[in-house]
Amino acid sequence: MSEDKNKQVSRRQFLNYTLTGVGGFMAAGMLAPMVRFAIDPVLQPEAGGDFVSAEIAEEDITTEPQRVTFKVEQVDAWYESTVEKVAWVYKQEDGSIIALDPTCTHLGCIVGWDSNEDHPDHFYCPCHGGLYTKDGVNVPNTPPTAPLSVYEQKIENGILYLGKSIPREEA
Amino acid sequence: MKWKKQDIEQYVKAKEYIDTAIIPLVPFSMGSTDDELTSLTYQNEVMDLFVDRVEREYKGRIFRLPSYTYTKSSNLENEMERLNSFYEEICKQPFKYVFYLTFDSKWKKFEKGLGGHLLWVPVMKDGDLNSEETQKLLVDQMEQVTDLIQTYWVE
Repeated sequence: MSEDKNKQVSRRQFLNYTLTGVGGFMAAGMLAPMVRFAIDPVLQPEAGGDFVSAEIAEEDITTEPQRVTFKVEQVDAWYESTVEKVAWVYKQEDGSIIALDPTCTHLGCIVGWDSNEDHPDHFYCPCHGGLYTKDGVNVPNTPPTAPLSVYEQKIENGILYLGKSIPREEA
Repeated sequence: MKWKKQDIEQYVKAKEYIDTAIIPLVPFSMGSTDDELTSLTYQNEVMDLFVDRVEREYKGRIFRLPSYTYTKSSNLENEMERLNSFYEEICKQPFKYVFYLTFDSKWKKFEKGLGGHLLWVPVMKDGDLNSEETQKLLVDQMEQVTDLIQTYWVE
């Protein structure tokens, strides 16, 4: 009889156990979202870090700049849209590939390669006559003050993938 | 440039470079037949894509102003007066070239009375914007329009 009584849980113990248990759940319920918010940036996929296929094979890239287009998802405030981006791709003298972003560093028009008769073998901006040499460096005494940006790029399975556009400082 | 805060901030710093304004003229109607409604909305969508692309490629020189909307049945003589008051408003900024882009051929007759240049572009009444052929056609038309705008710049 007395042994049985020892094994029994007293009222005080029972209340202690249940209160600790319930309290623990409540604390966990409150803390979990806080922790989630605190480490939230870690869980987000890196914006713009994704590479997109430019749908051009490595062997099709020559030393002459070629215009390729690729689509990226873009978010402007609440508005999500798919935007078509343009890149000029070619092989440099050392054989490495470079993908130039044709957005003029002056005011944002789209430049074209070899598109003006007076300036062959240059990137030419139709808006204010900005000029860039083949490596994307701005020609002095034209409106742009910085070289064209360069896309991050990698080759996977022989296909060119392009990423973020990285601005360059004046050379 | 677009009629947006972010673009305007850039515009006010570089006004002398952005000397061209473009306004789409868009007819609106709710009282037309169902077929006409389809075609009006389709053409409105095409216009949006069209002007967006022009603006994207020539961001540093062309300012895309808000569309001028008018009821389809209204008398264009009155609309012309109202549009000219828009023109006066635009001229308060240092724009040298003002273009009106429209798919509505009725404007052609009133071209002479307008301040600014009217660009009338024919367009299909209905179609599929996602089809590659339509897109090719639009890009081609757009290039012709921008080539024309560039000839004004050279003068």
